[in-house]
Amino acid sequence: MSEAPTRIDFRSNVQHVQPQMPAAVQKATMKFLGTRASVVGILGDDHWQALRQAGHDLRLHAINHLDYYLAQLEEQVTKAGGHVHWARDAEEAKRIVLDIAQSHNVKRAVKVKSMATEEIGLNHALIDAGIQTLETDLGEFIVQLAGVGPSHIIVPAVHLTKEGIADLFREKLGIDAPTDPVQLAAIARAKLRQEFLAADMGLSGANFIVAETGTLAIVTNEGNGRMCTTLPPLHVAVVGIDKVVPDWESLNVLLKLLPRSATGQKLSAYTSFITGTRRTNDENGPTEFHLVLLDNGRTRILQDEVTRETLLCIRCGVCLNVCPVYNNVGGHAYGWAYSGPIGAILSPQLLGVEAAGDLPFASSLCGACAEYCPVKIPIPEILIRLRRRVVEGDRVEDPSASPVLRVAAEVGGRTLGLPWLYEFGSQLLKWVQAPWRSGGWLPNLPPPLDRWTMTRPLPAFGADFREWWRNRTPEGRRRNLERKIGLGVLAGGLIALAAWLLTSGKAQRLTRKRSR
Amino acid sequence: MSLNPAREEILGKVRMALMRRIDAPVPPIPASARVAPRVAGDVNSEIEMLLSEIGKLSGNTRRVAHKQDLKAALQDLVKTEGIKKATVWKTPDLQELGVADVLRSLRVDMVSPHADKYRLAECDLGVTGVDAALPETGTLILRSSPERPRMVSLLPRVHLAIMRLSALRADLHQVFADVKDDGYSIFITGPSRTSDIELTLTIGVHGPKSLHVWVMD
Repeated sequence: MSEAPTRIDFRSNVQHVQPQMPAAVQKATMKFLGTRASVVGILGDDHWQALRQAGHDLRLHAINHLDYYLAQLEEQVTKAGGHVHWARDAEEAKRIVLDIAQSHNVKRAVKVKSMATEEIGLNHALIDAGIQTLETDLGEFIVQLAGVGPSHIIVPAVHLTKEGIADLFREKLGIDAPTDPVQLAAIARAKLRQEFLAADMGLSGANFIVAETGTLAIVTNEGNGRMCTTLPPLHVAVVGIDKVVPDWESLNVLLKLLPRSATGQKLSAYTSFITGTRRTNDENGPTEFHLVLLDNGRTRILQDEVTRETLLCIRCGVCLNVCPVYNNVGGHAYGWAYSGPIGAILSPQLLGVEAAGDLPFASSLCGACAEYCPVKIPIPEILIRLRRRVVEGDRVEDPSASPVLRVAAEVGGRTLGLPWLYEFGSQLLKWVQAPWRSGGWLPNLPPPLDRWTMTRPLPAFGADFREWWRNRTPEGRRRNLERKIGLGVLAGGLIALAAWLLTSGKAQRLTRKRSR
Repeated sequence: MSLNPAREEILGKVRMALMRRIDAPVPPIPASARVAPRVAGDVNSEIEMLLSEIGKLSGNTRRVAHKQDLKAALQDLVKTEGIKKATVWKTPDLQELGVADVLRSLRVDMVSPHADKYRLAECDLGVTGVDAALPETGTLILRSSPERPRMVSLLPRVHLAIMRLSALRADLHQVFADVKDDGYSIFITGPSRTSDIELTLTIGVHGPKSLHVWVMD
């Protein structure tokens, strides 16, 4: 993925989802949820819920004191022989990395999967400058060959079949590839092994950065993360400022939550802890280390206390797996690096609601994401907040509604707050709907309500639920009768009043008086 | 040091959003953000759990009772994995066990662990010790030092880790106390793996294709 999109049209993207996508995506999400359930089950629900709460409180503490922990981090990384850079936006981050690469005469770079670099489109910037930049995570390597973005945070090539991947290898690598996943992986291993050894620069993100010691924690399964951060003499990490955690004890909580939520593993195959550069020549590792701390909209997310919790995210992808919308459309429909529920809240905040205002509506607000989120991000609440911003304008700094909307909302709220008025209105609907009614349905409503009935009929209003509910008890039946009499008297009174006004001509005089 | 405008702007925006003054104090991390560390069982059940977890992840495990049994075990390994070239950490423990000597006597070509990356990549076998191990997850912790080069457990096709009972730890909490001031440490939980193609589990993507863990008393 290269440039940040200027406008994501979710509806139109959904039209272009390949027909095989939902089945492929669901196969992956079901598998991950299954393994997740078993490893969480081993811990027991009480323990798991305690971990989630700790994860939430810890991340929130870090985010709420971000200035302090970032300064501490910078000091520690520098002390360990690393260089710290600050990037306000994607352009600045790309320029910093490019400057480092060019000043070291880098020709070949190898890269670990990282959402932050995906977000800023780092690969394209480097490739455009003539630096060969290879994704080395197998799934990322495949989607890079295919020239598309990842369709799932954890399994980027989930939408491709082994036949499709074999074709891709034949076409792009000129290798006669069989359609066997194990042999395809072996081909990638052989090809990338040469690249790891020859690379001048290793690029990575980080799952966490520990302020206490200036340590990067990188979680991988294939070993490519270790290759990229051990073999090349130069290591550059691009990390969002939200990734900082106070201390190692924080990792004791977060490393129990992340792999279990992401892939259903107790720990991923490799977790690397890297502090600065290598300390002696004999132990291997890069001689130079640069950390690029990326803002790119994150400080803006901080400004709103409700949406701030978006920054707690540890990018496990479980919210994608449980999301009914994601499961039916896959990752590409979300139009950018981040997909699923986290994409629906992160993209509009990073890109602005003008660009990604569709996404907060790409949700049924069922709340499964919040139930599963290992750091308890209130995703539905944030979705609603962002919907409001889409409607009212994207003003984090001054979150107030237009006067018309405010009055309408006030009137609506007061009406719904009076049960008798609400019930009277719903009784009225029974009569008002008559001209459009056809059996138990309202198949064609007049504008603007036809926006709904264009795609599906609306069930006719029965307005009898409350009555039915009360009818279960003698007391309720008595109240039903009273209400009927009351309504009859009220309706009769209104009709009588109207008749009297019309016949006596008072109505005309009253209207004239008003208009003066 | 001159001021970095990007740094000042980002930190300024953070402080503004959080309404924190420069150098505003930070309260201690709330107790609710901590969890009690796991409590270890007895040594035997811990070792059993460790080896069983590693086994579930397609790692090979073995208990080697005495130093004398090491030779037979290595002989097996060299034969079954077809080892021609190997490299070994230079830690006192592995030197005392004589791993390199035994391998040499089995006519395995030995490469120095301080050789360059191309030569280490040619090795079939890398032998390391284990600085700590976590039974609950089946994890081995390898630290980094001049005697413990990082590539030995990474580049060769087979990784053999020889651990002592004393390496057992109950939880990440205890391990972190050991390694937090290190420049580098790697936590290894089973051999290199992926499910990236049609979710088919494939062992040995970029890292070692097979992992052997031997426990010595």
